[in-house]
Amino acid sequence: MIQPVDTILALVLLSVLISFGSSRLPALIKVVAFQGVVVSIVPFFIGHGLTVGGVVFTLATLLIRGIAIPVFIYLAIKKTAIHREVEPIVGYHASLMAGLVLMVAATFVSPKFNLPQSAGNALLLPTAITLLAAGMFLLMARRNAIAMVLGYIVMENGIYLVGTGFSVRTHHIVEFGILLDVLAGVMIMAVILQNINQAFDDVDTALLRSLKE
Amino acid sequence: MIEIVFLVPLATGALAFFLPRPSGRTLLTLTGAVHLLLSILLWVRQPEALFAEYFAVTPEGLLSLLVISLLFFLISIYTTGYLKTANIRSERVFTGSMLVFLSTMTMVTLSDHIMVMWIAIEATTLASAPLIYTHRSAATLEATLKYVLICSVGIALALLGSVLIALSMDVGGVNVPVAFSALAVVANRLDPLWLKAGFVFILVGYGTKMGLAPMHTWLPDAHSEAPSPASALLSGVLLNCAYLGIFKTNKIMHAAGLGHFSGTILIVFGLASILVAATFILKQTEYKRLLAYSSIENMGIIAFGTGVGGLAAYGAVLCLIHHSLIKSSLFLSSGNILLGYGSRLIDSTGALVRRMPRTFVAFFSGFAGISGFPPFGLFLGEVFILIGAFRGGHYVGAGVFIVSLCVIFAGFTNHVIKMSFSDAAAGDRVEEKPAMVWPQYALLLTSLVLCFWIPESLYETIVHAVNSIGGRL
Repeated sequence: MIQPVDTILALVLLSVLISFGSSRLPALIKVVAFQGVVVSIVPFFIGHGLTVGGVVFTLATLLIRGIAIPVFIYLAIKKTAIHREVEPIVGYHASLMAGLVLMVAATFVSPKFNLPQSAGNALLLPTAITLLAAGMFLLMARRNAIAMVLGYIVMENGIYLVGTGFSVRTHHIVEFGILLDVLAGVMIMAVILQNINQAFDDVDTALLRSLKE
Repeated sequence: MIEIVFLVPLATGALAFFLPRPSGRTLLTLTGAVHLLLSILLWVRQPEALFAEYFAVTPEGLLSLLVISLLFFLISIYTTGYLKTANIRSERVFTGSMLVFLSTMTMVTLSDHIMVMWIAIEATTLASAPLIYTHRSAATLEATLKYVLICSVGIALALLGSVLIALSMDVGGVNVPVAFSALAVVANRLDPLWLKAGFVFILVGYGTKMGLAPMHTWLPDAHSEAPSPASALLSGVLLNCAYLGIFKTNKIMHAAGLGHFSGTILIVFGLASILVAATFILKQTEYKRLLAYSSIENMGIIAFGTGVGGLAAYGAVLCLIHHSLIKSSLFLSSGNILLGYGSRLIDSTGALVRRMPRTFVAFFSGFAGISGFPPFGLFLGEVFILIGAFRGGHYVGAGVFIVSLCVIFAGFTNHVIKMSFSDAAAGDRVEEKPAMVWPQYALLLTSLVLCFWIPESLYETIVHAVNSIGGRL
C-alpha cells in the first residue's frame, strides 16, 4: 500500500534530480524552495501524535525552509547574477546519472541499518541519505558560490529528515534553535554573496583563488 | 542561575550595536571584567542551572570558561588601544560582534544538552563571521565566505552525528535526556554501532571547526584576514570550544567501553594535522598565516594527546590552556607588527628588536613558549603527551610527533629570526602603546606561573576532567 508520506518523499527525490539538472540559478533556487516546503510537511504524515506545539513548529519550519531562505538567496543574486549559469564541474547529464546512482545506492544500503521505525515508511531513510549525499555533490560539483550555498541547504534538509523521522526526543524549542541557526547562517552567506557580487561582478569561486595555497 | 554568564555579554553586545564609539569601547572592557568576575564566582560557588536539562557546570566546561574569560578581558584591554590606532569603519559592528561572540562561546562551555551544544557552536561561527569581514576587502570577503560555508557544512555533519547519538538511545531502548552528563552514565546501554557512527560525524564536524587536517583549509585564511584581536580570540578560545564538543563525546565513548575506537581516530586526525602544519610552516611568507598553521599544529597535538589517553590526556588539557594563553599573545603582538610595518609579509618586516622592542619581547617569548620551551607551560604538556604515548606503546605516533615538532621548530625559528634581527626593514623606532603590550605580558606571565604552580582547585578540576577518559596519573 502506498502511504501519503511516500508520495511526498518521492517528490523530494524528484526535486533532487531536477536540481542536478538545473543550469540556471533562479531555477535551482525554485527547486530548493520546493524541496524545503515538501520536506517540512513530512512530520504531518508520519504520525508521532502531533501536538499544538508540533503543528506550530512544523509551520515555522515550512515558513523558514520553504520561503524565507530561498527569498534571501534570491534577493542576494537579483542585481547582477540573475541568469547566470551554475558552472558545473561535473556536466548535467553526468550529474543526473550520479543522482540516480545515489538513489539506488541509498535504497540498497538503507535496509541494512535495521532501524526500529523505518518499517512503516520505506522511503524515509533512502530519501534522507540521498539528500545528504546530493547536498555534498552540489557543494563539490558546482563552481558557483550560490550553488554551493544551495547545496548546503539541501544537506540541511536531509539532516532535518533524519531528525524528524527517527528521533522524537528533542524538544521543539531546541529544534527551533537549530532552525534559527540555519536561517542566520544562510542570511550571513547571502549578505556576503551580495557583497561579492558588487566587488567582483561575479560569484564564480574559481575567480576567488587569491587565498589559495 | 549559571545562564547569567552568557546572558550578560549577549545583552551588552546588543547594546553595543547602537552605542557611539568611545562608550562602545568602555562597554567592551567593562563586560570583559564583569564576565571574568562572574566566571570566578561560578568557579567558587558552582551553582545549579535554571534550565538544568540544557545547561550544567562541568569541570572541562569550567576550565574552558575561565580561559575564555581571562583571555577576553585581556584582549578587550588591547582592543581599546587597537581601535584607537587602527582605522575600522564599522566599529559598532565590531564591538557588538565581539561581545555576542563571547556570549556564544560561554554558552558552549556551559551547555550539557547535545543539541544545545550544537546550536551554541554554530552560533559562534555566525557571531565571528562579521569580525573576519571587518576590513571589507575582497580577500576578507573570500575568507569570510570560506569560513562560514566550510564551517557550516562541517558543523552540519556534527548535527547529523548528534542525531545519530540520539538514535543510538532509541535503538538501545534508553530513556534519558539527550545530555552529555546523562548519556555518560548510561553509555554502556547505548547501541554501539550508532554511537560509533555518531562519534565519527561529530569528530569530523567539530574537527572542521577545531582546524584538524584535512578539514583545516578555512583556518589560515580566516585567522590571517581577521583584525588581530579577533584572530587572538578565534585562535585562542574558539578552537577550544570546538574541542570541548569532541572531548565530551569522547567521554561518552570511554564510558561505553569504545575508548580504543575513538582514541585511534583522534590519533590519526591529530598526527595528520601536525604533519600538515609542518609542511606549510616551512614555506610560509606571511607571519599571521604562520601563527595560524601553528594553531593547526597545536590542535593536532591536543587531539593526539586526547586520543592516547592516560597521562597524555592530562598533557593535552595542559596544552589546551597554555596554547590559548601563548597563541593569543602572539596574535596580539602580530597586530602591533602589522600596524607598525603595514604589511603581513615576513619579508617586509625586520629589525623588530630595535624598532618595536617591547613587542619584540612579547613576540619572541611567545615564540619560545609556542615552540615548547621550558619556562612556559606548553613544554610540560608536550612532555606528558610524549611520556603517555611511549607508555601506551604508540611508538610510531610518538616518532612522527617528535620529527614534526622539530621541523616546525626549524621553520618557525627561521621566520622569527628573520623578523626580529634582519636589517631588511630597518628604520626608526615605532611608538608602542602600553595598553597594546601589557596584555601580552600578562598572558605570557600567566602561562609561566601556571608552569611552576597550579592552584589546587585548578589541578583538581583538570584531573577530574581527564579522569573520565582514562587519565589516571
